[in-house]
Amino acid sequence: MDAFTLLGQGFLVAGTPQNLLFCVIGALCGTLIGVLPGLGPVATISLLLPATYALDPIGAIIMLAGIYYGAQYGGSTTAILMNIPGESTSVVTAIDGYRMAQQGRAGEALAIAAIGSFIAGCVGSLVVALAGPPLARMAQKFESADYFSLMVLGLVSAVVLANGSVFRAIAMILLGLMLGLVGADINSGMPRMTFDLFQLSDGISFIALAMGLFGVTEVVSNLESKSERALQVRPVRGLWLSLPVLLNAKFAILRGTLTGIVFGILPGGGATVASFSAYALEKRLSDDPSRFGKGAIEGVAGPEAANNAAAQTSFVPLLTMGIPTSATMALMIGALTLHGIAPGPMVISRQPDLFWGLIASMFIGNVMLVIINLPMIGLWIKLLQVPYRALFLIILVISAIGVYSVNNAIFDVYLTAGFGVLGYVLRKLDCEPAPLLMGFVLGPALEENFRRSLIVADGSFAVFVQRPISLVLLLLAAALLTSVALPFIRRRRVEVFQE
Amino acid sequence: MKIASGILTAVLSVAACSAAFAQGDWPKKTISLVVPYAPGGYTDSVGRITARYLEKALGAKVIVENRAGAGGIVGTQYVAKSAPDGYTLCVCSVGAVSVAPVAQKVQYHPLRDLSPISIVSTIPQTVIVKKSLPIHSVDDLIKHAKAHPGALKYGSSGAGGLMHYTVALFQVRTGTKMTHVPFKGGAPATAAVVSGEVDLSFTNMTDALPQMEAGTVRGIAVTSSERSPFASKLPTIAESGLPNYSAESWNGIMAPAGTPDAIVQRIATALAAMAKDEDVKKAMAVAGATAVSTTPDEYKKKIAQELEQWSELVKEFQKK
Repeated sequence: MDAFTLLGQGFLVAGTPQNLLFCVIGALCGTLIGVLPGLGPVATISLLLPATYALDPIGAIIMLAGIYYGAQYGGSTTAILMNIPGESTSVVTAIDGYRMAQQGRAGEALAIAAIGSFIAGCVGSLVVALAGPPLARMAQKFESADYFSLMVLGLVSAVVLANGSVFRAIAMILLGLMLGLVGADINSGMPRMTFDLFQLSDGISFIALAMGLFGVTEVVSNLESKSERALQVRPVRGLWLSLPVLLNAKFAILRGTLTGIVFGILPGGGATVASFSAYALEKRLSDDPSRFGKGAIEGVAGPEAANNAAAQTSFVPLLTMGIPTSATMALMIGALTLHGIAPGPMVISRQPDLFWGLIASMFIGNVMLVIINLPMIGLWIKLLQVPYRALFLIILVISAIGVYSVNNAIFDVYLTAGFGVLGYVLRKLDCEPAPLLMGFVLGPALEENFRRSLIVADGSFAVFVQRPISLVLLLLAAALLTSVALPFIRRRRVEVFQE
Repeated sequence: MKIASGILTAVLSVAACSAAFAQGDWPKKTISLVVPYAPGGYTDSVGRITARYLEKALGAKVIVENRAGAGGIVGTQYVAKSAPDGYTLCVCSVGAVSVAPVAQKVQYHPLRDLSPISIVSTIPQTVIVKKSLPIHSVDDLIKHAKAHPGALKYGSSGAGGLMHYTVALFQVRTGTKMTHVPFKGGAPATAAVVSGEVDLSFTNMTDALPQMEAGTVRGIAVTSSERSPFASKLPTIAESGLPNYSAESWNGIMAPAGTPDAIVQRIATALAAMAKDEDVKKAMAVAGATAVSTTPDEYKKKIAQELEQWSELVKEFQKK
């Protein structure tokens, strides 16, 4: 049987009224949770897991998957409207999306995010359906050395994505890398820079860092200006996209989709690298890179498409190999296990209904998300008209709840407050927090894979250029770095010449 | 049928409840079952299966509370320091209870600060090797490791975890030397044996079973003292020439020390019945685990034995 016949059967499974309902409930819950700052899919799925015990496994997994990609959608909403990214993948969306919102183009930004995600989601699902198992085998070819080089590429993208000075961007990446070093040493298990606080033994919580640097800082900075309201500088100029704007962004969406599909299947930070790389790619290809960071629509379209495509393809290693690509995917494995299905290489042949039903439900879920989200844009924008003395309070309280909910740890809430202060200082110094977060996310993975590659290669550094995948990634990173550095050097030479 | 059995359990739990009133008024509010690991992991599954059963058996709401961190130390310590009123329980595991206290600094003593109630599940570690290696038995493994000291690389879930220490114990007992390659968690360590990046690992049965079934890795033995029902063809390491070698992962329910004996006994009785429940057995089997139960005293003895075994190993380490 070919994939389309099987997919057709999948639609029969996912299309029963009952499963359709679970899909809607999941997508809706996910969107709402994603919109609330700090609350992410991990906390939601673990809370709702007991509620799915009574459902059959297929219905349950369809609903949980709906929550997952619904949250991806919702997360970009707060990133755009309030500059609060709830997940590492929406950090990039906040850069240009929030600027668009400040210029009164919030509707446009939200619409392009929804449409970009929809297209990417559909293409991503199709790829999972047609090429799931071979893609998984490709992902398996990745060893530690290749992951190391992937992380190098990610960090170089982080330099590219900086809009101000390259020097400041590199400083921020280094600060992020250092924050990422906190926690147990991977090889010895010894605590490192934890000040004897056992709460830090697993490192600093990403959510605490992101909520502090973005959310709290945003609120504090806004309070500084007494009368002005920086959250929304100009009134909203219409909710919809004009056709030319959409056509402008179409290639960004397609490129983002492709980037997301490729990186999404890689466990460990694949989706994050995808959204950052998509942004870097758009900025490099743009005729006028200076528009980026000031509300460029491609800067929203590309990364949003990338992170949604990655969200779909991250199911590939889970379903075909039983290997989770992220904390959310690990939770999905737990959910499947509780429903009596052991994820692994045999799931497709033993549980074809589940595999194809889930893929079909991804299509249905994406359609539903667009239907849910497009009309809601008007509603979200109205949120900005809530008086800020109430809105800021709500943002802070929900952020605190969200941060607490990740590990049930009050310590993380204190951390958020501390990072809020750091974020404010950095803003005063004109330093962007996005490269810092990138360094923080990629740093530990970089170190872990670097040290592991060397153990496996018996200490030989040649392993990074001997492995073809690693070599290609390093060359890509070098090319990207040169393309950033060249204009910089040329400019310097012009300056020198002028003197 | 399902509805009928649901009604039956409901009736029974109401009956159990009224019996409980005679013993005291516990439980009168929500019980929180702390899982010291992130949601989605193996212990989380065991915790949720247990919570689902206890809710029916005790007639009170039982919620799972994930307090992950430091390989289970954070959550275990939280329970050790909680009020001993029977409303905070821990789904403890061998790592944070028997290994961590002898291997690193923790702020609780597993037997003085916690009160063991019953082990609920056990799961053996499975010795898996990559398929291209000519290793088909424990004997082959020892010979290969002796012929090429330090050349074999084993993956673990992290330094100081059970996947690391079971191999360390194996090396000490066999006089072999292999190279430790730590990963962040058991699943990626297992995946590395599949891809061939590392040569072997002592992986838990949950992760190993699907790969062995698909033929992507070769299983050669289990670490428990008895063969596992999930892979009965695999011999134990003990029967392969290393008598007394025994290491298995368990999850058990513990309460803060000082919890009233009546409550401990009541939970122990419920857990003893749970180990015989068909639904629970099935659910545990999917997770690769065997549903078991012990008395609080048996549990205490097991922990004491394990503490001794691992502290000897740590001493051996420090000599080097």
